[in-house]
Amino acid sequence: MHDPAARRIAFGANIAAAGAGFGVSFFGSSRFSGSSSFFGASGESPIARAYMLGLLQRDPNSIVGIRPNQSIAQRAAELQGADTSRTTSSIQPLSLTYIGGATVGTYSVHIYAVGLRTAQGVDQFFPLALTVSGGKVVRSE
Amino acid sequence: MATLSLFVVGILGGVVVHAIADRGPVESPYPQLQKIDEPRVAHDVIQAVGADDARSLSRLMDSTMLTDLDTALQPIVDVRSTKFVGAVESEGRLLSAYVVTGKTTEGIDFVVGFVLRVANDQVVGVN
Repeated sequence: MHDPAARRIAFGANIAAAGAGFGVSFFGSSRFSGSSSFFGASGESPIARAYMLGLLQRDPNSIVGIRPNQSIAQRAAELQGADTSRTTSSIQPLSLTYIGGATVGTYSVHIYAVGLRTAQGVDQFFPLALTVSGGKVVRSE
Repeated sequence: MATLSLFVVGILGGVVVHAIADRGPVESPYPQLQKIDEPRVAHDVIQAVGADDARSLSRLMDSTMLTDLDTALQPIVDVRSTKFVGAVESEGRLLSAYVVTGKTTEGIDFVVGFVLRVANDQVVGVN
């Protein structure tokens, strides 16, 4: 491969292949669909996990980039609620369990079980299903 | 041949770079519950949903839960597949989770997740 033209072609092929490899891995990864990458084992989406931690830690700012856009009034009301909740320590998270999920096309669903203790000392245990698409949580119920 | 080898090396390099750059979920400070097997009664419900068997479903759930199930499945009206993804238990309360794929009234493919609450060998709620 002493011919400069052939060397340029080979170099170009190498760069293109590296991009293709990265792309293939990326499209199978969390940043695209929310599920695990080819090398991830759990199947849990980093986006879904970050969203759940933001909810439990009552920190709306930490999840603002990974959920659908809200109006300024909605965001202000949410911050008010989070501040009140934090200062009164009304809720104590007990557990966060990733139950499982699945991916269909660009959408992935991730289901969690949350254990909480209320200010009255009552333990609550409930599920939350998150739909992730395009790097954001698009549905939470 | 050399160009082909470089191409393969490039692909592998790209995948490896992405694997290194793509870190998994951040660590959770909260404990996780142990997974359990799918509760039998929940399996019966999801089997009826998957088989489009309204008669069986009507025997397994009361009207309130059927309404909740309808809400949980929205916007899917035509179920194509159901998948049990896991179950957990806390103090006798079981949560059995499912992912359902299907079509909306407009014929668009959709996926939803929902959970059946089980207590005392009975489905007691849908989320």
